[in-house]
Amino acid sequence: MKEKRLWFQIKRDWVLYAMLLPALVYFSIFHVIPLIGMKLAFQDYRIIGDNVWVGLKHFNVLFSSPAFLDVLKNTIIISSMKIIFFFPVPIILSLIINEVRNGPFRKYVQSVIYLPHFLSWVVITGVWISLLSPVDGGINVIRNFFQLPSLDYMTSKDHIRWVLVISETWRSAGWDSIIYLAAIMKISPGLYEAAKIDGATSLQQMRYITIPELLSTVVTVFILNLGFFMNAGFDQVFNMINDSVISVIDILDTYVYRIGILNGQYAYATAASLFKGVIGVILILSTHFISKKVSGKGVW
Amino acid sequence: MKKLTWTTAIIYGILFLVSLSILIPILNLLAMSFSDPLRVHELKGLDIFPKGFSLINYEVLFSNPLIVRSIFNSLFITAAGTALNLFLTAMAAYVLARTNFVGKRLVILFLIVIMVFEPGLIPEYLLVKDLGLLDSYLSLILYKAINVFYLFILMRFFEDVPDSILEAARIDGAGHFKIFTKIMLPLSKPGLATLGLFYAIYHWNEYFRATIYLTDPNKWPLQVVLRQFVVERDNTSLLGAQNVLSYEQVAALDFGSLQAGTIIISMVPLLVFYPIILKYYAKGALEGGVKD
Repeated sequence: MKEKRLWFQIKRDWVLYAMLLPALVYFSIFHVIPLIGMKLAFQDYRIIGDNVWVGLKHFNVLFSSPAFLDVLKNTIIISSMKIIFFFPVPIILSLIINEVRNGPFRKYVQSVIYLPHFLSWVVITGVWISLLSPVDGGINVIRNFFQLPSLDYMTSKDHIRWVLVISETWRSAGWDSIIYLAAIMKISPGLYEAAKIDGATSLQQMRYITIPELLSTVVTVFILNLGFFMNAGFDQVFNMINDSVISVIDILDTYVYRIGILNGQYAYATAASLFKGVIGVILILSTHFISKKVSGKGVW
Repeated sequence: MKKLTWTTAIIYGILFLVSLSILIPILNLLAMSFSDPLRVHELKGLDIFPKGFSLINYEVLFSNPLIVRSIFNSLFITAAGTALNLFLTAMAAYVLARTNFVGKRLVILFLIVIMVFEPGLIPEYLLVKDLGLLDSYLSLILYKAINVFYLFILMRFFEDVPDSILEAARIDGAGHFKIFTKIMLPLSKPGLATLGLFYAIYHWNEYFRATIYLTDPNKWPLQVVLRQFVVERDNTSLLGAQNVLSYEQVAALDFGSLQAGTIIISMVPLLVFYPIILKYYAKGALEGGVKD
């Protein structure tokens, strides 16, 4: 009886299934098959015939390879630098923008600082190569003005990681401030009214109302960022990397691209990205549980 | 009106400097691309006005077959890709947002799992290779046919369409596909516009997949050519324009100015649509509530 009703429903809704079919076919081909394809990490790739299972062979090679460990170290350093030095900037920016009342100036600032978010990293790299040019780049013009010698930042091992952090800030700080601005808008105006009656200055209002109210948004965004910790910014590094600095900014993703796509070591490269993926999932799950314990709120 | 105190003055000052830090490097490139090639060396990194005025860089770039071709390739990939994106995403969003059927929860769970687990580069590449899509535009257009996150955003837009309208159509005997095309799509234009911009920007900016999937330079989108000139500093294909220029003009060309011109060209569509983008994109991003 029940089974009959189920069949009746499915037959009745056949149009819906037909409309959903293209999407399901698409996801199955372009998402599920690559997911299954990750089993390559435990195999040796053969051009002709079936791949051979080799267990953890590639992982053993991976962890005994100094190149891989260097890349892992770079990924962790660059990601940590970004979290420490980039993460607070959009928050500060949103607090500052919030002090500017609606008007042409605020509109101007917001339209300008969102702009770089829409540019590809190829374009941004072009802009930054020009900005940092040792011949007449803007930064070196400023340095020369203060009697400092020109520096070639893009090929300097000491500076290139900072170039990554600062160009990331240049691109994303404005855009990322949107989410904090939205959170600030949601704070009840009553709180500010009460504070004003008590004679709080705008700085005190920021300190005792805006910042505490913003904290839960900050925590959520922080956790989401931690989930992407192992990414470290592939597009950016892929474009800014060069032979002089490859040893300090080669990250897991660029490494996988090089050994996989360029050198054709498919299985080994898949093992490296599977390792990265597993760490990512562990990071998301653990920060989720920590957040749930601490604030009672998780990511989902 | 707020009183102009020291704090507000400092705040305005900081924000003004922040905006300059973004504008000056871009305006400097613009100035470089419009400068007279013989005087471009006078232009310093903080200058925003061209030294002399010349369109020679753009003449060279637009007489270069590779550049012109790549612009059309980019426009084609963006238009075709976005159209397919919108149609497939909207159809799936309609079914998932406005109807109830056996297995709906299962489909949504499937989508969430897909959103969370990224298979990584190599399995993707091998799939595209096995499907015979290497060196085909389809590798770019089909590969990202539906973005799960955007699908969820569009579902939210569809949920806002009032039930009464759909109910009326149903009573008039309209089937699901008819309701979808005749009612849902026209009523959700702002949502579709937002999503169209999301997808179009993605396609316009895509270079990485094009770099690995397209080996034939005639099929390259603009971003790949740009990367070749600006990042790889490979100018061999750039200077193939001798036939339109005199010998002196070719000798006077400045590679940096040509690079600047290419960067500016690739930014034009974005700048043209920027007011519309700002209107829709920021709202869409907030509805999604997550950064991409």
